[in-house]
Amino acid sequence: MTTTANKRHTEVKEPHWIEWATGAVSALVVVATISWVAYQAWTQDDMQPEFSIAITERRQTEGGYRVAFDIANKATATAAAVTVRGEILDGGNIVEDADVTFDYVPAQSKSSGAVLFSQDPGAREVRVRAVGYIDP
Amino acid sequence: MNGARAERGNDVGESRDFLIGLGRGAAGAMLFGIPMLMTMELWQLGFYIERWRLFLLLIANIPLLILLAHRIGFERTSTAAEACRDATIAYGLGIIIAAAVLIMLGDIKPHMPLSEMLGKIAIQSVPASIGALLGRSQLGGQSGNDEHEDDREEDEGQGGGAVPDEISTSYSRELFLMAVGALFLNLNVAPTEEIILIAYKMTPWHALVTIGLSIAIMHGFVYAVAFKGTHEISNETPWWHAFFRFTLPGYMVAMLISLYVLWTFGRLDDTAPTQMLMSAIVLSFPGAIGAAAARLIL
Repeated sequence: MTTTANKRHTEVKEPHWIEWATGAVSALVVVATISWVAYQAWTQDDMQPEFSIAITERRQTEGGYRVAFDIANKATATAAAVTVRGEILDGGNIVEDADVTFDYVPAQSKSSGAVLFSQDPGAREVRVRAVGYIDP
Repeated sequence: MNGARAERGNDVGESRDFLIGLGRGAAGAMLFGIPMLMTMELWQLGFYIERWRLFLLLIANIPLLILLAHRIGFERTSTAAEACRDATIAYGLGIIIAAAVLIMLGDIKPHMPLSEMLGKIAIQSVPASIGALLGRSQLGGQSGNDEHEDDREEDEGQGGGAVPDEISTSYSRELFLMAVGALFLNLNVAPTEEIILIAYKMTPWHALVTIGLSIAIMHGFVYAVAFKGTHEISNETPWWHAFFRFTLPGYMVAMLISLYVLWTFGRLDDTAPTQMLMSAIVLSFPGAIGAAAARLIL
């Protein structure tokens, strides 16, 4: 409890037990946070971003074809400006390609997006891969 | 003197006082709201924020304003009804000021879809309404409403009415004030891309230093540096008492508010726990300063 007298604040000497309880819980939370971050600091290796892409949906849209995907970054480093290219392959030849850029793919997280083609790939192979990134 | 004024007609005086109060509220909304009204990310959030998160923010703002009005309005005389009235006016002012400024800046144009306009105004109205409320109390001088209040206090004092010189601020109120301070600074910076960019750039070592410094600044702001309104610890009480009871809970409050704001703005979606924590630590730095400042100012 704080006592305000004549515009001065003085903390009282005999606080309620709730104040100590809150203090204890907070101290626990803060210590846990610090230990977690410290643990990360000790154990984290210098990793380069590593992407894996999983196609989640392929669908005909108005005037084109959409291939939606999730991009996951398994590493402990975040990548910025990640360019993902989708290609329609016909026997090894690239028939059409489309690019999309992610502002960020955070460490150990995933983002989702889609590439849009002008044609239906049909039975042809669709390849979606990350082609580059920068360090944030 | 009081009698003379009363004879002059209460209606005119009161409506003038009310208009002055409105003016102060509008000034406060501008003063505190402008940084956010001119932030690109907040305009964009206006149309892509998930509607139920926006709804939750708008609803959560109501009890916050009422409590704040009750706490800082006219502390010794305000009733719950008056606090509700002040909060409503502040919210309304916030919405009007946000809309007016966004229209003036050309950020809202007639051809835009209604949901986009409403989203932009709604998200800006939260900081603007807090600003309106703070403006009414903090920018208040020795005229208008305040003079009236002082008179009334004097009257009560003479009439033997027990107006306490000593107000006990309950612990929960103290934590609430810290939450408001943290929320306010967080709303200023959380929508910007810089917060997550900083979190990505920082190593865990940087984060550890940030936590330590945030807590140290919080404690120092309130207890060590002799600001006006600073809190004193009586000589017999060891310093760590206040540290445990106020500073650490304050930091936890700042952390929780940071997490809530980040979540509201969709910065935690599909993000690993470590990254969430890093963003929260970054945002708690301004949050901690805001929380400490709120204890001094409000």
